[in-house]
Amino acid sequence: MHLAYPAVLAVLLFCVGLYGVLARRNAILVLMSVELMLNAVNLNLVAFDVWLRDTLHAGQALTLFTITVAAAEIGIGLAIVLLVYRNRGTSDVDKLTDLADTGTLPDSGSASIAPATDNPADTAAEQALRAREQTA
Amino acid sequence: MNTYVPILVLGALAAGFAIFSVDMARRTGPKRYNRAKLDAYECGIEPTPQPAGGGRFPIKYYLTAMLFIVFDIEIVFLYPWAVSFDALGLFGLVEMLLFVLTVFVAYAYVWRRGGLEWD
Amino acid sequence: MTGTIHSLWTTAADSATPLDKIPTPKIEYAQLSPVLIVFGAAVLGILVEALLPRRSRYIAQLGVSVTGLAAAFAAIVALAADGYASAKSHIAAMGAVAVDGPALFLQGTIVLVALVAAFTFAERRLDPLAHGRRVDSFAAQGSTVPGSEQEKRAVRAGFTTTEVFPLLLFAVGGMMIFPAANDLLTLFVSLEVFSLPLYLLCALARRHRLLSQEAAVKYFLLGAFSSAILLFGVALLYGYAGTISYGGIADVISGTAKMTPALANTTANDSLLLIGGAMVVVGLLFKVAAVPFHMWTPDVYQGAPTPVTGFMAAATKVAAFGALLRLLYVVLPGIRWDWRPVMWGVAIATMVIGAIIAVTQTDVKRLLAYSSIAHAGFILAGVIALSPDGVSSVLFYLAAYSFVTLGAFAVVTLVRDAGGEATHLSRWAGLGRRSPLVAAVFAVFLLAFAGIPLTSGFAGKFAVFKAAAQGGAVPLVIIGVISSAIAAFFYIRVIVLMFFSEPQPGGPSVAVPSALTSTAIAAGVAVTLALGVAPQYFLDLAGKASVFVR
Repeated sequence: MHLAYPAVLAVLLFCVGLYGVLARRNAILVLMSVELMLNAVNLNLVAFDVWLRDTLHAGQALTLFTITVAAAEIGIGLAIVLLVYRNRGTSDVDKLTDLADTGTLPDSGSASIAPATDNPADTAAEQALRAREQTA
Repeated sequence: MNTYVPILVLGALAAGFAIFSVDMARRTGPKRYNRAKLDAYECGIEPTPQPAGGGRFPIKYYLTAMLFIVFDIEIVFLYPWAVSFDALGLFGLVEMLLFVLTVFVAYAYVWRRGGLEWD
Repeated sequence: MTGTIHSLWTTAADSATPLDKIPTPKIEYAQLSPVLIVFGAAVLGILVEALLPRRSRYIAQLGVSVTGLAAAFAAIVALAADGYASAKSHIAAMGAVAVDGPALFLQGTIVLVALVAAFTFAERRLDPLAHGRRVDSFAAQGSTVPGSEQEKRAVRAGFTTTEVFPLLLFAVGGMMIFPAANDLLTLFVSLEVFSLPLYLLCALARRHRLLSQEAAVKYFLLGAFSSAILLFGVALLYGYAGTISYGGIADVISGTAKMTPALANTTANDSLLLIGGAMVVVGLLFKVAAVPFHMWTPDVYQGAPTPVTGFMAAATKVAAFGALLRLLYVVLPGIRWDWRPVMWGVAIATMVIGAIIAVTQTDVKRLLAYSSIAHAGFILAGVIALSPDGVSSVLFYLAAYSFVTLGAFAVVTLVRDAGGEATHLSRWAGLGRRSPLVAAVFAVFLLAFAGIPLTSGFAGKFAVFKAAAQGGAVPLVIIGVISSAIAAFFYIRVIVLMFFSEPQPGGPSVAVPSALTSTAIAAGVAVTLALGVAPQYFLDLAGKASVFVR
């Protein structure tokens, strides 16, 4: 078997992942697409490793590191996505638009902003501020 | 081809024995069902009620699963070390001990902060 | 397929060396001590979290972080004094990490930046008391839903997320390896080691938690995406060259390496080299926030807790430009005719777009984010010079820029109203009348960003543009000067707003910080003025440190 087969398969997998990252709106599916891209890299690395008869097996070593890093990355990524889901009830990345070039105060009148502390005095002051900003 | 015959025979024998024992157990064994026997098997612990209609699972499943995956994956580095242990010698052993030590620090953190408590 | 080239499935018994022939590895612990100290302090920080009672963690973490970073800086200075920055510079840890001038200079910068950032992380006097306790800018408990009963319990119990200090240290360790990485594996691992803690730090703001989490999601998704692209480039470069060490790849590119038939087969394929190199560079350009890979920057800078934004904006840029420099100067100089035109385009787009979009911004943090994009363009102009002067000017610029950025974001944490930091520009109107000192300090930073003489920004820009012009990039310099002028417009506009407009009724107040943030801001001002008034010493230092080891 020639090197071209795994190499082309890896590129195809990578492109499927790329498409997923760009087209999917659910953060979990985007994460899965990133994983697909990383696995395409793994396939490429082991194929090159075998093809080149690398005595130090740099390709395989790199693959092991990729696998571990991907696991750590997915752990952290899922935790962050989960936090967002618990706060907003959605993991749709298209709905994350509070941060954008709007030219307005990002927090004015937005109910999604939690009070800084649960100290009643602070909260009252904050609400007063918000009310003033809304009328202004 | 000849070299594969013993393996095929062994496979056939193993499959035959497995089918035979399962079949015999069903034919000859007594059948006394109780609730525990009919429950779904979940690694020997009390089965957790499934959310109806594919609803939500408690967050602790996520935590446990992630901890398992992260600690499980670390072990992958032990394999290449084990394979070339001879060549790496004492240096490899010391480095590997340091590696395992850092993993244990992470474990100590998880344990002390209650990440391993189910309730 | 000819007979000399094997197929993937044939056994490798004939060509493989037995396993016991691999060289026994050795690690030069003393030369790697700066990084090891930082990682050791980070692990110690995790143990502090695990073993100490809650109330003593804050002070212990701060002590561990500051001691660790100071010790790491001492180790870097000792290595440099020992000659590792020039004569004795070499490649340590079996080819994984370079110990040379640029690496030590950038590591020193990163450690100092982190030390100052640790002070801003530890600041506890800006937010109002929560149940009689002083609180910092980080959430009481990161996993709680804002406003929920669980969070209220956490706040009442006085929880604080002191994990931010170990996370900071892990990020610093990764950033220190990043510009010193001398093979592609180390490059990738260190990239992840510094990125992953930063994603978490972004999500931990005490106030505006939803914005902070949104920033973290955006940063994470784009960061993971860019590191996957970088990694694919790494795989292709490995396929092209059969090795992942920088020197080895450079040898293959220049045609001096020993060839096997299989290697000759892949090396004949230039597209592996060109696409692989391009993808690795794209991954790095994501991290330096160069146009067109800058989209995440304003959102993340705005949403992240401001101390984190300051650290991230300063230190990530230093680390990523260090890695980019080493990649382009050590691995890919052989194909500079291919990458230089592309980098020209990227630099021009980054300078112009960063400066122009910044003009329309109304939020201080977003404004600083776009200004950091424009600065990435200026630094790229120095990178393209491809000369020792280019390296030294970039090193100097990075050192100058990182302290200005850190100081500017530290000032942003001070201007507050009841909702937390008042980052909208309209609320900064007339600040100079109410708090002349804070406004003056911020004006110094803005002037440095604009590149006004007697500030570090001028010396840095001058050095970078001079190197670029000598490297034959005169049109680039002209565009750079024009976009500096555009950028200067909006910095001056903020200064005018602060000093020459009427204060708003009910406008924000300036919180009085503790010694921690004051030290951070004072350090920023001191470095800005020192590098501006007497740049020559530091330019010489950067010049001495500008040779990459191969």
